[in-house]
Amino acid sequence: MTMADVRCPMCSTINPADATACSVCGARLKPMIAGEAESLAGPPEPQEGEAGDWLARIRSEVERKAETSGEAPPRPGEPEWLNRLRPASGEEEGPPEGELPEWLSEEEGSAAGPSEAAPGEVPDWLARIRERQKTELEAAAEEAPPPSADDDWLGRLRREEFLPTEPEAPLGEEPEREAPPLGPRPPSRPLPPSSPPAPAAAPPPISATAPPSGRIPPPSGEKPAVSQAPPFMGISKDLLEGAMPKWLEGAGPSSDEGLPHMPALVAEEGLAVTPESASDLQMGSIDIPNWLGDLRKDAGVAPPDAGAPGDSLARATLPAWLEAMRPMDTFRPVVEIQAEDAQEVESAGPLAGLRGVLLAEPVVAMPRQPSYSGARLEVTERQFALADLIHRMVEQEASEVGPKPPARRRLPFSRWAIAGALFLAVALPALLGAPSLSVPTLVPPGLPALITLVDSLPGDRPVLLVFDYEPAYAGELDAVAGPLLEDLMQRDIRLATVSTRPSGPPLAERLIRRIGDAHGYLNGQDYVHLGYLPGGPAAVQLFARDPRESLAGGFLLAQEPTRRGMWSTPVLAGVQQFSDFGAVVIIAAGTEIARTWVEQAGPWTGASPLVMVASAGIEPLIRPYYEALNPQVDAVLSGLPAAVAYEQANGRAGDARLLWDSFGTGMLVAEMALILGGMYGAASFLLRSGTGTSES
Amino acid sequence: MIAQELLGPAVLVLFVGLILGFAMLGRRWPAVFRPLHGLEALGAAIERAVEAGERVHLSLGTGSVTGADSAPAFAGLAMLSRVAAATAMSDRPVVVTAGDGAMAVLAQDTLRSAYDRARAQDRFQSTSGRMLAPTPFSYAAALPTVLANEDVSVHMLIGSFGSEVALAADFGERQRAFVLAGTDDIQSQALLYVTADHPLIGEEVFAGGAYLNVGPLHRASLRAEDLLRTLIVASILIGTVLRTLGDLV
Amino acid sequence: MRLRLSLLWAAVASVVGLLVLAGFFIQTPILIALGGSLVGLAVLLAGVALLLGLYNLLSVHLRKISLQERGWPYSALLVLSLLGTLVLGVFFGPDNPVALVLFNSFQLPAEASLMALLAVTLTLAGFRLISRRRDLLSFVFVGVALLVLLGTGPWPSGETSDTYLLIIDVRNWLAQVWAAGGARGILLGVALGAAATGLRVLLASDRPYGE
Repeated sequence: MTMADVRCPMCSTINPADATACSVCGARLKPMIAGEAESLAGPPEPQEGEAGDWLARIRSEVERKAETSGEAPPRPGEPEWLNRLRPASGEEEGPPEGELPEWLSEEEGSAAGPSEAAPGEVPDWLARIRERQKTELEAAAEEAPPPSADDDWLGRLRREEFLPTEPEAPLGEEPEREAPPLGPRPPSRPLPPSSPPAPAAAPPPISATAPPSGRIPPPSGEKPAVSQAPPFMGISKDLLEGAMPKWLEGAGPSSDEGLPHMPALVAEEGLAVTPESASDLQMGSIDIPNWLGDLRKDAGVAPPDAGAPGDSLARATLPAWLEAMRPMDTFRPVVEIQAEDAQEVESAGPLAGLRGVLLAEPVVAMPRQPSYSGARLEVTERQFALADLIHRMVEQEASEVGPKPPARRRLPFSRWAIAGALFLAVALPALLGAPSLSVPTLVPPGLPALITLVDSLPGDRPVLLVFDYEPAYAGELDAVAGPLLEDLMQRDIRLATVSTRPSGPPLAERLIRRIGDAHGYLNGQDYVHLGYLPGGPAAVQLFARDPRESLAGGFLLAQEPTRRGMWSTPVLAGVQQFSDFGAVVIIAAGTEIARTWVEQAGPWTGASPLVMVASAGIEPLIRPYYEALNPQVDAVLSGLPAAVAYEQANGRAGDARLLWDSFGTGMLVAEMALILGGMYGAASFLLRSGTGTSES
Repeated sequence: MIAQELLGPAVLVLFVGLILGFAMLGRRWPAVFRPLHGLEALGAAIERAVEAGERVHLSLGTGSVTGADSAPAFAGLAMLSRVAAATAMSDRPVVVTAGDGAMAVLAQDTLRSAYDRARAQDRFQSTSGRMLAPTPFSYAAALPTVLANEDVSVHMLIGSFGSEVALAADFGERQRAFVLAGTDDIQSQALLYVTADHPLIGEEVFAGGAYLNVGPLHRASLRAEDLLRTLIVASILIGTVLRTLGDLV
Repeated sequence: MRLRLSLLWAAVASVVGLLVLAGFFIQTPILIALGGSLVGLAVLLAGVALLLGLYNLLSVHLRKISLQERGWPYSALLVLSLLGTLVLGVFFGPDNPVALVLFNSFQLPAEASLMALLAVTLTLAGFRLISRRRDLLSFVFVGVALLVLLGTGPWPSGETSDTYLLIIDVRNWLAQVWAAGGARGILLGVALGAAATGLRVLLASDRPYGE
């Protein structure tokens, strides 16, 4: 090498000074930048005392050692460190005698028989290996193999990674590919002592049955750059391709038969893997990280087809929520490896002129696309719902209700005050007769129609009274229904009562006795209780269809307590069907029961009128039945004011008038309570808002 | 006349079709309901009751199974299945009361099914579903004893009630319990507005199942109700306009 | 086996409901008779269920008595009253004089007292409404309630003033237009909700009879 020669920055081949490209690798030797031509194209032989003298010294030492050892000069295209390692490879091949690992000894014993491995002697297998290695070394020295010799597995790997190669045979079908020698196996990837020697008998830790959750796979699509690849990457390719190391070849076939199979525990889609399919377990089916698998694909290894044995193994499954959280195509390698031609030439420092030098600039300072900017999650509706559920759970956790504050034991003064005021307001008029309030002078709408209707009732047909209210409403409804009963009794109209509530017949007896005593009404002659009608709306409909067949028995019957006896009383004479009643009067406190009678029994009344005596609270709901174009209710009497007006029309004061003063004073107290409460609430609101404004 | 007779079955078939259609569309077109404060706060109240070792009480009202007022009680039973599952692991599982014997039996069956689904069969007690009293006001009179003795902190009134519902709600308020009350009776709804913390007005009592995610048909039926209500309102408006124009002409 | 039973119950419930519903819409003698029989059976079962409810009531309170839980003396009183009334009703009929005395002397006053308590409760609730729920609707509620009370009850000053007549008119307008219209609208929604609930039972989506 003369001063004018140029060393290729990529493969270290010595080229003539006028060469513009390397004769071996084709790398450009003269930079494109004119100003740097001299510093780059000139031989990097630094002067003594210059900063780069150590590099020249190293290079000269390497060349001198090569000459003295009789070895061939460094082959162009090979890394120098590989050349330095080469002489030692033959010596270090295989474990030293007597230092065989225990697991390897056992395997050897199982494969070749324990008698052949006499202690202190070189076993035959080791002798065979050495013999073969010696032959290979000699052949290599004679043939001067090209730089792309098979033992240059690292260089091959690099070239295969960046250059497209012809398709290779599938896994396990490349016996001609020479496995790396035993000696130079990278020390950074020691095989675990527990790993069995035969790949076919791969234990679960390296099989597809290993749960994927135990490791953290790199993000999909991430391919580590070669420059970042760890040293053990060098053997990964051969290992992954299923090529068995030679030092394991002897153990492989024999162990296939003797060792038990380890099938996958969970097969894909829930199918158990049979031992037959598990017997095809090969190195290619080893559960490797995704990024390593991608590397293997990039290296040109054809993926196993659908019928490959590895497909019978259980595929690693992730929970749906975890699968949803995996970023897809979002992570990029931190350093993108460009083609060699596109890489910049180092322009300064001891590595000047070299191409593909690692950048001194910190990786973190390089502008790159934020990894989160392009995050795209493809989620299903169920996954979205689960994510939303988690979100809500977290939110609820944040807004978790605190413990219930301890109850303050305070006396209910307001309750007592209002109860006392109401009690006094109701009791004083009844006890003292004062204050006396004026009776209503306005006639409620509908009352004249009711009075006219009662006047027109036929005297030979009984009126059916429906007592459908609870005892609690007796105070109001007895007073409201009283004037109507009074009017009916004044006209000597016979009465029949019925109820869909068990408490109805006693209420009917109580009211009729109280009013009827003044008119001489007798049970069984002037009135009769048909009794309790169980069954709700259905029973009402059945009763309206056929009254005689729907009731089991009456209530307080004066004659024999049988159904026939009840219907044979003079009160019910002539009543064969529902429309035979002169009128139907429904006394109800609730909307539901009133509507039930109107809707279920109304169609069966025929020409007989339907009268509603209702509590004041349900009047707005009953009135539409009365005020419709085709009214289903012929008259309505509701509320104490209407009852008082009815009594005045009858010319006889009854219960309604007795209650009127108490009713009026109680209403006044309620009105006062509402006014005071409203004022108190508004004042406290204004005070609080004023306090809040001043504080702010 | 024939058209009038066919109107009822036609509306019924339309209703069923809408329910089933919305149930099938539910996954692609999820329903969005307006917020109901009472039903939304119910979850937190039940959670607090479970953590505090207090009890949830659900009243199915005083209506009977055979009556027309059974519908809100059925809605309450649907909510019960959800509430029972939520309180299955509590020290004090939910207690249900009714004013009707048949309704109490249905409450027991619902509780048993809910505990079966929650795999907490041992939590079921036949006395968790009770008939308190046969008449409305006697039922209301019996409630304070249940609320006090069972340490109730969530008091749900979902069923058919009369005026006694105001007393029932007030008893819960005096116990400082969370009171959620709804019924089908309009007069009682007005009373609940002033006595209950969280009243359910109108048909909201029937929407509990949809809001508590009892099942897809609950959500679908709620959407069908909304659609039918819109159709009815539109028909009422059109009829009113036509009738008014007819009177004018 | 249990799944089959639940399907059987669901099928029975759906078929019975559909038959009764069909009898309501289709007026044929067979369907009407079938529907009537099924309704009668339901009424009978409801009566039996009432007995079951009474048994349940007894068991609850007997348990409280046996465990001496809080308030067990009241439970004992309830059991005694229940058994006494039951014996009276079974052996002497519900209309025997003793039963009527019990009704008029105990049940009627007790329930009337509860109604009086309801009046106090509602008045107090109205008093507190603005303080508890300070929004526009609460003010509207209290204002309307006040107007209706003023228009319903008597006035100490008599009923001849123009103000009273105005209040009466406003009250009638509120009750007969706004309240009635709003109530009908709410009833419409309630009816739709009730129908939907019934249809869910018919479709076996809701199974209150267990699964």
